[in-house]
This record gives sequence, structure tokens and C-alpha cells, in this order.
Amino acid sequence: MRKEASLTTLIDAILPGDAGLGLPAGSRVGVPAFLESHGLAADAAVLLSQVETVARDRFGIGFAALEAPDRVTCVERAKRADMHRASGVLVACLRAYYTDPGVLRALSAGAVPPFPDGNALDDDDWTLLEPVYERGPIHRPVPS
Amino acid sequence: MDPVDVVIVGSGASGAAAAWSLSRAPALRVVCLEQGEAPDPARYPTTRPDWEVSRHTTASPFPNERAGAADYPVDDRASPIAIANFNGFGGSTILYSGHVPRFHPSDFRTRSLDGVGEDWPLGYDDLAPYFAENERHMGVAGLGGDPAYPDDDRPLLPPVPLGPMGRALGHAFNALGWHWWPSYGAINTRSHAGRPTCVNLGPCNTGCAQGAKGSVDVTYWPEARRQGVEVRTGCTVVEVMLDGRERATGVRYIATDGVEHVQPAAVVVLACSGIGTPRLLLHSTSTAFPDGLLNDTGLVGRNLMLHPLGFTEGVFDTDLRSSVGPQGCCLLSQQFYETDPARDFVRGYTMHILRGAPPAETAITGYLMRRIPLGAEHHRRFAETFNHTAGIAVIAEDLPDPANRVTLDPDHTDRHGMPGVRVTYALGENTKRMLAHGLARSKEVFAAAGARVTASFAPVRHTGWHLMGTARMGSDPKTSVVNAFGQAHAVPNLFIVDSSVFVTAGAVNPVATAQALTLRMCDHLRDHPAITARAA
Repeated sequence: MRKEASLTTLIDAILPGDAGLGLPAGSRVGVPAFLESHGLAADAAVLLSQVETVARDRFGIGFAALEAPDRVTCVERAKRADMHRASGVLVACLRAYYTDPGVLRALSAGAVPPFPDGNALDDDDWTLLEPVYERGPIHRPVPS
Repeated sequence: MDPVDVVIVGSGASGAAAAWSLSRAPALRVVCLEQGEAPDPARYPTTRPDWEVSRHTTASPFPNERAGAADYPVDDRASPIAIANFNGFGGSTILYSGHVPRFHPSDFRTRSLDGVGEDWPLGYDDLAPYFAENERHMGVAGLGGDPAYPDDDRPLLPPVPLGPMGRALGHAFNALGWHWWPSYGAINTRSHAGRPTCVNLGPCNTGCAQGAKGSVDVTYWPEARRQGVEVRTGCTVVEVMLDGRERATGVRYIATDGVEHVQPAAVVVLACSGIGTPRLLLHSTSTAFPDGLLNDTGLVGRNLMLHPLGFTEGVFDTDLRSSVGPQGCCLLSQQFYETDPARDFVRGYTMHILRGAPPAETAITGYLMRRIPLGAEHHRRFAETFNHTAGIAVIAEDLPDPANRVTLDPDHTDRHGMPGVRVTYALGENTKRMLAHGLARSKEVFAAAGARVTASFAPVRHTGWHLMGTARMGSDPKTSVVNAFGQAHAVPNLFIVDSSVFVTAGAVNPVATAQALTLRMCDHLRDHPAITARAA
């Protein structure tokens, strides 16, 4: 009996977790829900079917049974066969992942909404501009 | 409807400055009609973690992508540069990055100095006091003493912080012996005019929920409204009306509920942008102007200038927190702004440093450009890119060309059936050579900074913010639409105060120059006979 891969398998092949960096896998942060809410569930299902086909054609086994690098190979090959649809799904997965509050905090991406916290930037030492001052004016004289 | 002294069409950068200026004459009754609604800062995208998603939907600067109720269709397929705008109270300043440098003195004399374009009927010195007044209102951060400008005494807030990335590029410009300077940003680097200090979140161009960015809804408009200017949102003006003596009598507009109204006015002021203003003029046909109002010379909609933009991205080996800080305001270089006979082009460009991309944009761009793979290597490569990047935008001066134009598009209409616009635009040879020069120099900057160049191309399609030249000013009615005060040659109580009137484009963001022009024009307008008679 063929075991079909799930959308979770596909998303985690694209965006696996990284325990060392404290980053969750894509399926853990609402990527499937994002695809659904943005009207991409059907396109994601088509991509899933395509990667399954590539897996069986190229590797002779189902997508879910493949090692992680081979899964990515399948996704990229499926994308080349249906560039517009697949790119739309993959871009949405990335957008969903990198707008998740937990991911943003794990990245140390700076303040995360809802604010009021902001980001500090050091004061500048404007002696850095001394060479620019020293070269003098560069604006062009204009006849009156 | 009761007549008013002045009706202003459009509430953006210039419409707001006009409203404030005219509101200083308390006897005047001034009404502003805005086709969009007032955005609610409490609902700006940056109040949510998924704010980057909104840049491609409700907060997109591209009207066809945003498809808001107040947007009109813009067919820009015949242009390598897509048109950006925002139709709402505050206009495109809601979504702009707030970079507000002044034009240079030479920008007003391109014909005399370089034999290209046309001279403006005014000069930098005429605008200098209005630049300063505008900077006070908008709250502009920067640093005086810039050698790229004449000596002046600008009322500036402290400069926007460079951050580690900006300092790295400052050192690189110094190593090359080239000009650079901190940005002129409409960013509150300290509390100003009752608005708070910027907290360096970054995404100014989705709307600043803090109110630290100087968009006109929080700068000019509060005072203008306190001084009596009435704003009506959701009102799409479809015609400037004339009497039999070629005088404007007011405007015809359609409210959100679809009901048509006429607003009689002694003076009509148009401030609908370099696209919206020619659209309205071309749609206002009459026996006297069968080809569109003020279009007896065929100039309305022509000479569109867009500032074609080149872009180079560099990636540093170290984390420079480059995404932190106002995205469009860091530093700029005007080393190549003025004409140099040794080059193969005339006029010049600004190199404008952009901060690093936010997380989702970093991941998506990196993936599409094959720098950040999917799968196991994804996170490591993302970490090597995010907060490590900077961009150099090459803002090129494009020269006026009558073939570059805006026309009506009767095949695509807005919610009220008014035609949208078609934009036809091609890069001139001078501009192409300028962009090639700018891309090469931007690569030198990154090399001097020790950064790897990962992308460099021009023109960048989604950059058509700067809409200029489509109803240009001049002294000769045969070659211009309005005079130096924005007053229409053919209809003396009709004024155009937005960047449609620009004669040439300069090579900096146009909004400060547009607003300074507006303030100057309105000083003149207050002395217009139709105004003084009613105010007496």
C-alpha cells in the first residue's frame, strides 16, 4: 500500500527545525494555516502531489520515505515543472514562517509587534565626516 | 452646496501643505476633497507580527496589487517602472520612507548648464525659505554643513542613527574619497511637534503607527484642520468645471455612496500627484478644451519623469544589525550628482543607502536568487544573510521626454466609472549610461566596505514613486501648463501644486521640493484677486 506524504512532511522538508538555533519546524508555527487562509491550500495539495510523483519517478519510493536532502531535491524538481504555482506556495511558506512571532524572537530580529518596545541604535561619532568636510563644497555654481 | 473660496483636490504631500498655508488666512473657507479614506494608525501593519505580509496586500504601494476601493487602474505594462502611490488621507506620505532631501541649485538650470531639459522659471534661492519652512513642519532629521548644498541654516532634528552598517559604508566612502552624508529624513529623532521619537522599528513604508514618521496626516493636517480647513474623504473628483469665460467654477465629485455633488469654488487647487492630476485634467473635457483641461498645447500628461533606479546589494561577513532603523533613511552620497564632462552622460545621480531587508523579505529574496536554499542548510544560510545586507539605490535623473506620458485608459475604470490611466515610459540613452555608471560605482563602495555584491541591476521595476513633469511649469504658455506659481496659463483661477509641475527631475526624492513649491505657490495664491475679493 502506498503511503502518501502529508502537507506537514512537505513543509518540514522545506523548513526543518534547527534545535541549535532554537528554530521550530515550519509545520509547528502555523504555515499550514497560513496557506489555508491565503487561498493556497489547493496549490499546496498540487505541489504535494507533484513531489510525490517526482519521488517515485526518481527515487522509486514515496516522498515521506526519502532522506531530507532527497526531499528537497524533489521539491526543486517539482518547482521547475510548475514554476508559477510551486513558487507561490514556497514563497508563502517562507512568508508565514518569518512572520511568526516565535520565529522572530528566536532570530533576535529586534522588537516584535505588538510594540511599544523599539530598537536602540548607538549615537554616532560625526568625526567620521571630517574627510568629507575637508574636501570642501561639491555643489555646482549656478549663474543668477 | 455652499460655495467655498478654495477647493483642494488631494490630501497628500502637496495638498496638505496647501491646506496649511491657506488656513493661515482665517477668513478663507477651504475644503479638501480626498478620494480615499483616513487610515487608522492603530491598524497599520506594524501593529501585527505579520506586517510583512501586508506589503503585498492592503499596504502595497502598487495600486493594482493593493486594489483598494479608492484606487484607480494604472496600466503600466508599457513602462519598465511600475507606478506606486497611495490613495487615502495623507496620500503617498503614508507609505513613503520619509527621505526628503532638497533639490540642488543646478537642478533648476539644466538647459543653461548642460543643454538638456529646460530651466525652471524659478531657482533654488526662491525656494530656500520654503524648504526651511517645510522642514520645520515635517520634522526633518539631518546634519547641516553638507558640502553638496549651498550654505544654509536648516531647522534640522538630530540625524537618523547610521547603525553599524551605515558606519561601515561611511568608512568605505571615506576610503574612496567620495562624498557621503547622513540622510535627510522626515523622522523624529527626538520628540517634535507633539509627536514621539522614532524607536527604529524599520518598516516606515507600511505606515508609522508610532507617528514618528512625518507623514502629512500627522504634520500639516492637524494644524490645518484646527485652523478651519474641512476635509471630506471618500470623494472622487471627476471634473474641474468651467464657465463660459474659461474660469473654473468648482469641481464635480462622487461620494462613497455614489451620489454626485458639485462643489463651487472661487479657486481650484489640484494636488493629485503626477499621475492623478493629468488624469483629472484629461477627463475634464469641454468645448474650450476638447482634449482635456489645459491641454490645448498637448502637454498635459507628457514629460513624465520617474527617477529610474538601479540597485546593488552587498552582504557583509558580520552581523551589522542592518535591518534596524528607518529603512529608507541612513545615508546618501552625491559624489556623482553634478555633471562631469569626463563622463558619457550629463546630469547625475544620488547613491541612497537602504537598510537591510526584514526577515521574510530576506528569506524570500535569498531563496529566489538561489542564495538561501530550502532544507537543512536553510537556517544557516539565512543567518549569514539576515542583518548582514545593505542596498545602494542609484536614483538617476531622467530627462523630460514628451513620449513618456500618462493617458486615459477608457478600458479600465474606477469604482465610479472614471477611466484609469495608461503609462508609457522608456529609458533614455543618457539615463541608461548614468545607471550603468552608478551600478559600477556602487559595487566599488561595497568592495571598499569588504562586502560581497550579490545583486546589481537596473532599472528596478517596482520603484515608481516619484511622479513628475506631467503638467509642467514655465513662463511660456506654448511650452508649459502653469506658471511659476502653479497658476494655469489658460484658466487663471486653477492652480496645480503637486510634482506634476516639475520641469526636470533632479536626482533626489521630490517630495521636499514639491512641498516647498506648494508653500511658495500658496503665498502667491492668497493674493489672488478671487481670494482677496472674497476674504475682504
